[in-house]
Amino acid sequence: MTCDHPIEHLVTVRSSRRLNSQTTVLTLEAPLIAATAAPGQFVNLSCDHFLRRPIGIMAVLRHEGLVELGIRVVGDGTRELAQKRPGDQLSVLGPLGHGFRLEGLQRVITVGGGSGVFPLFFVQQVCRERGIDALAVCGYRSKDESILRDEYAGLGCQTLFAADAGDLDVAGHAADALKQLLCQLPPVPQTAVLTCGPRPMMQAVAALARDYQLPCQVSLEERMACGIGVCLVCACQVREADGATGYQRCCVDGPVFDAEVVVW
Amino acid sequence: MVTTAVQVGSLSLKNPVLAASGTFGFGREMAQYQDLSRLGGICSKGLTLRPRAGNPPPRVAETSCGMLNSVGLQNPGLDVFLRDELPFMRQQGCAVIVNVAGHSTDEYCEMCRRLDQTPVDAIELNLSCPNVREGCMLIGSDARQIESLIRQVKQETRKPVWAKLTPNVTSIGDMALAAQRGGADAIVLINTLLGLAIDYRTRRPILGNNTGGLSGPAIKPVALRMVAEVSQMVDLPLIGVGGIMNGQDAIEFLIAGASAIEIGTASLIRPTACTDILEEMTALAQADGVTDLAEYRGTLRLWGY
Repeated sequence: MTCDHPIEHLVTVRSSRRLNSQTTVLTLEAPLIAATAAPGQFVNLSCDHFLRRPIGIMAVLRHEGLVELGIRVVGDGTRELAQKRPGDQLSVLGPLGHGFRLEGLQRVITVGGGSGVFPLFFVQQVCRERGIDALAVCGYRSKDESILRDEYAGLGCQTLFAADAGDLDVAGHAADALKQLLCQLPPVPQTAVLTCGPRPMMQAVAALARDYQLPCQVSLEERMACGIGVCLVCACQVREADGATGYQRCCVDGPVFDAEVVVW
Repeated sequence: MVTTAVQVGSLSLKNPVLAASGTFGFGREMAQYQDLSRLGGICSKGLTLRPRAGNPPPRVAETSCGMLNSVGLQNPGLDVFLRDELPFMRQQGCAVIVNVAGHSTDEYCEMCRRLDQTPVDAIELNLSCPNVREGCMLIGSDARQIESLIRQVKQETRKPVWAKLTPNVTSIGDMALAAQRGGADAIVLINTLLGLAIDYRTRRPILGNNTGGLSGPAIKPVALRMVAEVSQMVDLPLIGVGGIMNGQDAIEFLIAGASAIEIGTASLIRPTACTDILEEMTALAQADGVTDLAEYRGTLRLWGY
């Protein structure tokens, strides 16, 4: 057996773009990852700390062989990654995990909260490539903390921005904005809601989707180590086919799960 | 050319590099990224008689030079392993070592009895998992229980029985001697060190299980010391494990007295760690003019007083 599936890539940082004090977009020269990554997948990045840091893929530029990652600083490891400069090299495992399933969908509504708007941007990019009708809801604490607004606006899809502080389109969180959107939206068959963000927000989004009888996919987050399914530390509680609850691995069974199986 | 084949008691391994239990699953995921026939062997995820869900998350906390885990032996149980995983492991072209964890002596015995009828190469008795409330480390921290358990298990199987010991004891030598008296065929040193990580803001443990097992380079000096100490006390082959990240680390364990080594946490950082480390070992041996990796074994030159 030969290793025809390289998993570890030594990649170079092409550019770094700071969005605000907490958030940076890194662009990596990673053609193999760019060629195969699907929305909702992630990469596991080396840093000066012991464990790698799992980061969702924000977008790929397949022809240029580039991968964009949105990094929100939550600790020392992500701070160090956000400070990477063009020319820096880092070891990347990926693409990893089961992403969002877009097959058979005619319309997709993405609902992101905070840094959850990053992986959903990749969903929007792929919907556009495949001609899937797409709408977006992006929720933030405030206009000041909002990210990717120009990028979402540039997609040309209908986008609703929400802020808890009340200084964007809708006052409240992303689920409030989703409700407003669903109230006015004529039904289209094969519509799905795809969400990523803080857990309470995703739970509210999943409940709303259920009220509207729309299938919902949620991208869960859990502390991870290997990212490839061997260490079993990133356990997510789900409802199995037989109705019993059990743990599945966020890294390879997810990170995207059907909302119906998630035990909130 | 460097000869890599080693003996662990009656078991011949093509090389001394084994994948440590709990860091390699049953090899399925890792087989996507490397040719597992290059390994000396794979130690399965720790198995219990019945399926086990494991502990509530979070199950991992990063530490300086390592990590704590509190997985708690999540596994599909022996039946599912034998049906769905063992055939796959057997096909990979390396030794298959099954890590067995029980609540009680009866459970260890029943599992060993059933494994005796299967094509596994050795049984690694998990006397050391720090993340479960019964069996394992509780048995493994009492010399009398270690001896008695191994003696009973040995009557259930002709497979080589390896005792994987916990470092969370006052005297590792006493535990190793007990394993030898019980009839173990080899001793595996060491499992993880019991530890605690605290989130100072919430004043809560980071791990859902409160405590967890420390692994990674942080524990290598402890593991090396225990291998060196035990190698002076028992006549059994030793398998060294604890924080091995590269070929030099691995050779240090051989020098300390190990016949083979297990790679654990390194595989979580670098999926190809096992095969990479084997290559590094042979390259170092070549550079040293050592023609057989077994030549390193037990060559530690202690300072005299």
